[in-house]
Amino acid sequence: MRVSLNLIKKYLDLPKELTPKQIAYDLTIRTVEVESVEDTSVKYQNIVVGKIVEIRNHPNADLLKICLTDIGEENPVQIVCGGSNLYEGEYVVVSKPGAKVIWHGEGEPVEIKETKMRGELSYGMICGAEEVYLDAFFPPKDDHEIVDLKGIDCYPGQNISEIVCMEDTILEIDNKSLTNRPDLWGHYGIARELGAIYHLPLKELPKVSIDSNLPKYEIDIQEKEKCNRYVGIEIENIYEKESPMWMKAMLVNTGMRPINAIVDITNYVMMAVGQPLHAFDRNHVDGEKIIVRNAKKDEKLLLLDNNTIDLTSDDLVICDKNDAMALAGIRGGKKDSILPDTTGIVLEIANFAASTIRKTGKRFDEKTEASIRYEKQIDTERVDQGVSLALQLIKDFYPESNIVKYGDCYPIKTKRAVIDLPQEFLDVRLGKVLKKDTIEEILKYLGYDVEYNKNVYHVTAPVWRSTGDISLKDDVMGDIARILSYQSFEAKPLSIKVSKAVHQNKVLLERRLREYLAYRCGLNEIFTYPWIDEKYLKAAKVDITKCIRLATAPSPEQANLRSSLIPGMLEAINKNLRYFDTFKMFEMAQVFEKGEYHPSTITETLPIHKKFLTGCVVGRDAKEIFYEVKGIIESMADYCHMHKLTFEQKEKPSWADVNGYLNVMCNDIEVGSIGLVSVSTMNDAKIKHTNVAMFEINFDKLIPYDSRTNKFEHLPQLPLVQKDLSILVDENITWKEIQELIENKVKEVEFIEEYNGNQIPSGKKSIMLRIKIGNDENTMTTEEINNKMDSIVKTLNKKCGAVLREE
Amino acid sequence: MKEKLLEIRKQGLEKIEAVKTLEELQDVRRDLTGKKSALSEVLKTLGSLSPDMRKEIGMQSTEIKNIFVDKLNAKEGEIISSKSVLDKPLDVTLPGKKITPGVLHPVTQMCYDLNDAFASLGFEVFSEDDISSEKFVFDNLNFPPDHPARQMMDTYWIEKTEDKSNNERLCLRPHLTGASVRYLLKHGAPARFVYPGRVYRNEDVDSGHERAFFQYEALIVDKNISFSSGIVMIQTILEKVFGREIKVRMREGFFPFVEPGYEIDMECLVCGGKGCKVCKHNGWIEVMPGGVIHPNVLKSANLDPEEWTGFYINIGLERLVMMRYGVDDIRWFHSADLRFLEQFK
Repeated sequence: MRVSLNLIKKYLDLPKELTPKQIAYDLTIRTVEVESVEDTSVKYQNIVVGKIVEIRNHPNADLLKICLTDIGEENPVQIVCGGSNLYEGEYVVVSKPGAKVIWHGEGEPVEIKETKMRGELSYGMICGAEEVYLDAFFPPKDDHEIVDLKGIDCYPGQNISEIVCMEDTILEIDNKSLTNRPDLWGHYGIARELGAIYHLPLKELPKVSIDSNLPKYEIDIQEKEKCNRYVGIEIENIYEKESPMWMKAMLVNTGMRPINAIVDITNYVMMAVGQPLHAFDRNHVDGEKIIVRNAKKDEKLLLLDNNTIDLTSDDLVICDKNDAMALAGIRGGKKDSILPDTTGIVLEIANFAASTIRKTGKRFDEKTEASIRYEKQIDTERVDQGVSLALQLIKDFYPESNIVKYGDCYPIKTKRAVIDLPQEFLDVRLGKVLKKDTIEEILKYLGYDVEYNKNVYHVTAPVWRSTGDISLKDDVMGDIARILSYQSFEAKPLSIKVSKAVHQNKVLLERRLREYLAYRCGLNEIFTYPWIDEKYLKAAKVDITKCIRLATAPSPEQANLRSSLIPGMLEAINKNLRYFDTFKMFEMAQVFEKGEYHPSTITETLPIHKKFLTGCVVGRDAKEIFYEVKGIIESMADYCHMHKLTFEQKEKPSWADVNGYLNVMCNDIEVGSIGLVSVSTMNDAKIKHTNVAMFEINFDKLIPYDSRTNKFEHLPQLPLVQKDLSILVDENITWKEIQELIENKVKEVEFIEEYNGNQIPSGKKSIMLRIKIGNDENTMTTEEINNKMDSIVKTLNKKCGAVLREE
Repeated sequence: MKEKLLEIRKQGLEKIEAVKTLEELQDVRRDLTGKKSALSEVLKTLGSLSPDMRKEIGMQSTEIKNIFVDKLNAKEGEIISSKSVLDKPLDVTLPGKKITPGVLHPVTQMCYDLNDAFASLGFEVFSEDDISSEKFVFDNLNFPPDHPARQMMDTYWIEKTEDKSNNERLCLRPHLTGASVRYLLKHGAPARFVYPGRVYRNEDVDSGHERAFFQYEALIVDKNISFSSGIVMIQTILEKVFGREIKVRMREGFFPFVEPGYEIDMECLVCGGKGCKVCKHNGWIEVMPGGVIHPNVLKSANLDPEEWTGFYINIGLERLVMMRYGVDDIRWFHSADLRFLEQFK
């Protein structure tokens, strides 16, 4: 909202020394966020009134004239101009060198310089309205028309901002900070806040009394909950004319467009007190009666441009005896327009319920200055302010006008909130004991009525804050604290409870896992979106029928929420392959699946949530990356201090290669899987010229240890003998078989490498292993060592056909 | 005899001087001080000399031998200290061997930094499921029934629940605050906990807006505490993130679940509060909302607002990371682009 300090000053005598910047700061801290402060006269600098003394033809251009113009300086200046409406003696708008104008009303402002036009000197420029921010004041009739100040009291050299009353300062307020304050959607409300901040009395609004003998204007409110009050005033001798300059300026500065005096009055009143008004041409209202009702089925509203909009029975409409004339609180139709043939009006000053305005506005995707205000829920007494201010202005602008009929249908009145505020509550919650006078003064400035009795403030909230904003003692406390400014309350240190240290094993496990993967295993952590392109779900062969779907998705192909992190990882791999050949990534996040789960009680049912941990290693050599991923999972439990993970080959994950996969187990329960990504998955995910190994673990099933479980072991007293063996076996023999054969014959057995080079006969493979042997009682003799080795080799040969490879 | 000794001395010292390697040194040492050295030969002839001469020559020989030993040792030290383990010149300007650990996402790093700070104040870490219900994200939190955020366009509602209400209308949580009531229902009061997590908004995406982003919220609930204690939590966060005390201001702000509510601004670090493009020329940057937990929210958590009070603060983690590192586009955080992520070692 744009707040004009000139308008504020009508209601509050602001001290001269108070700068707009200070006002903006104080309002920001205590009431609403001021986003910027704008001096509206700045753009009119060096733009002045000029009087054309003499017009000569331009020697080199038929369409240009040379105008000798008096701009209040010693001698008239020469200005070249192509305006279509030039005449000697004309008062015009001159941009002197240094002024910033919008060339031909388009683009960014350009600085005017003294220049030659077709060989003739031109000191500045005689301007059209759009070039110098005056189109709202002097609407141009054609492109080449310059502003003619005929009939306006002015003198050469006078700054144009004075003529159009644009010497104002505007505070631009963030509308988001006004959502709960219907009272601040008019300048009067902002002035009241400033009054409370600076201890300044707020001036009364004009009170226009209505002759109680006037005939009643008939008003029929059929939906009382939706329309709590409707005042209709029929006024004659009103016709279309322009508003005075100050009113136009005020509307321009507060973001409205001047239209004609009567529409301008309604908009001005809305800006001043926050109460929307509406004027109907009285000749258009059939039956001299206003009906406020829900629209009928298939009813339509005819608009000014002869289009219609379709109404539903949810929409509240303002009708005459025949038709809907306006969508209540949102927009008018053709019937309410003030046109050149208007001779009288019916003025609407009404109160509509926020919910109905919001609902209808949303459906038509329409927000107007009126509907924005109604959506905040205005109190019903604001209508009185609107009526008085509007009638006052109408009387001023149209002294010949005459109120013919007056109707005030007022079925529901806003009740003022009554609250008891104990002194002790304030002392504790504010953390500071405030004087009674301080509290009462703040509350009174804000419009509360206060009575103090036995350590309790009995407060009655102002009606303009009683539509939901203020209802609890906390709300009143908030008002006191913010007007004093939150910063004026010293920060109180928090006490620390030393009864129990925070000990959250599962939380720590999550962190250990992330740090293990990043810092020890070299994986980079990524985050991807929970909604996932169907293409990648299909690539990973995820069962899409189990996926939870969004009602309004970021895009149609992203309606499914992920049930696995694999598809997102595939997409991330695809993206990063543009820049890297080999890389490693992981992600930890929740995934979702159809099903039922009760996070609190049986009455709360959510879909199934699982926290997954997924990672990948991308590289050419499939075998190498498979074992890298296996190694990551193998060591995970040791480094992260959780229950051991083991492997079994039971069931192939949907995305994995037919041979290269393993299921990951923890205490005989499957907790995840690892594997090479299958050819078809890679094809579908458009992952080319590389291989990918992945793992996916269900974090929920991992069990952290309460503490570290490492155990100290004594180092061997006697040296162990280390021997490397290179054996040739059938390629189907697994390491596990070999390991199990010799495990109990040695102290340690370790796999070194597998080799299938050229020297190895087909169908065979070479395996190098390292064993450590030793006795507990004495150092082994050479003979003992040889015997042991022979026995091992024999066993290997007998059980799996292994033969020693020649060195 | 004396001349001979002088000759031995002179030649010996010349030999030592000429030595270049440890191997040569060993040979020279043997030649000069060994059993077959010229000095040894001289000593062998001592018996044939007069007692006076014997004494003098003997002393001189020993002296020369000592000189040889000293010089040889000095030479040895000289050679060893100039000796290199390298047989070829080393290009010390070549880069060192790369270490290649991975990195945690900058948002995770920020989150853990804050967890550490809050743990020191006795705060637990809590997390809630990403999918929640209208009951937890709006009803419990004092959002009016026709609040705009409840409508289809602002929140990601789950298909087939969008027309239901309360705990049957499900959504990807649009904020974390719902988790506060969940925690309080489970653990009661007093309580102090943080609950970081990802939230989701149906928004148009640009450099400052994302559909999925991380928040960090902290709540303390206790008896007889004043709202101004909340500023301590704010200072904790900012000091942790920026490593020094940061000037903050609290100003009026409105959120349905707090009363009073405030916005917390920090002094713009780019211009030091003078006003620049980053802070839109007002010297302050909005960093987090906060406020005193609304009595209606306490009631949702089965706590008596007459007895208990407390306050929230909530901060956008991406926003903090952006300020910490000067990142100018929020879309990087969900890009999974390793060129971006690898910068945050």
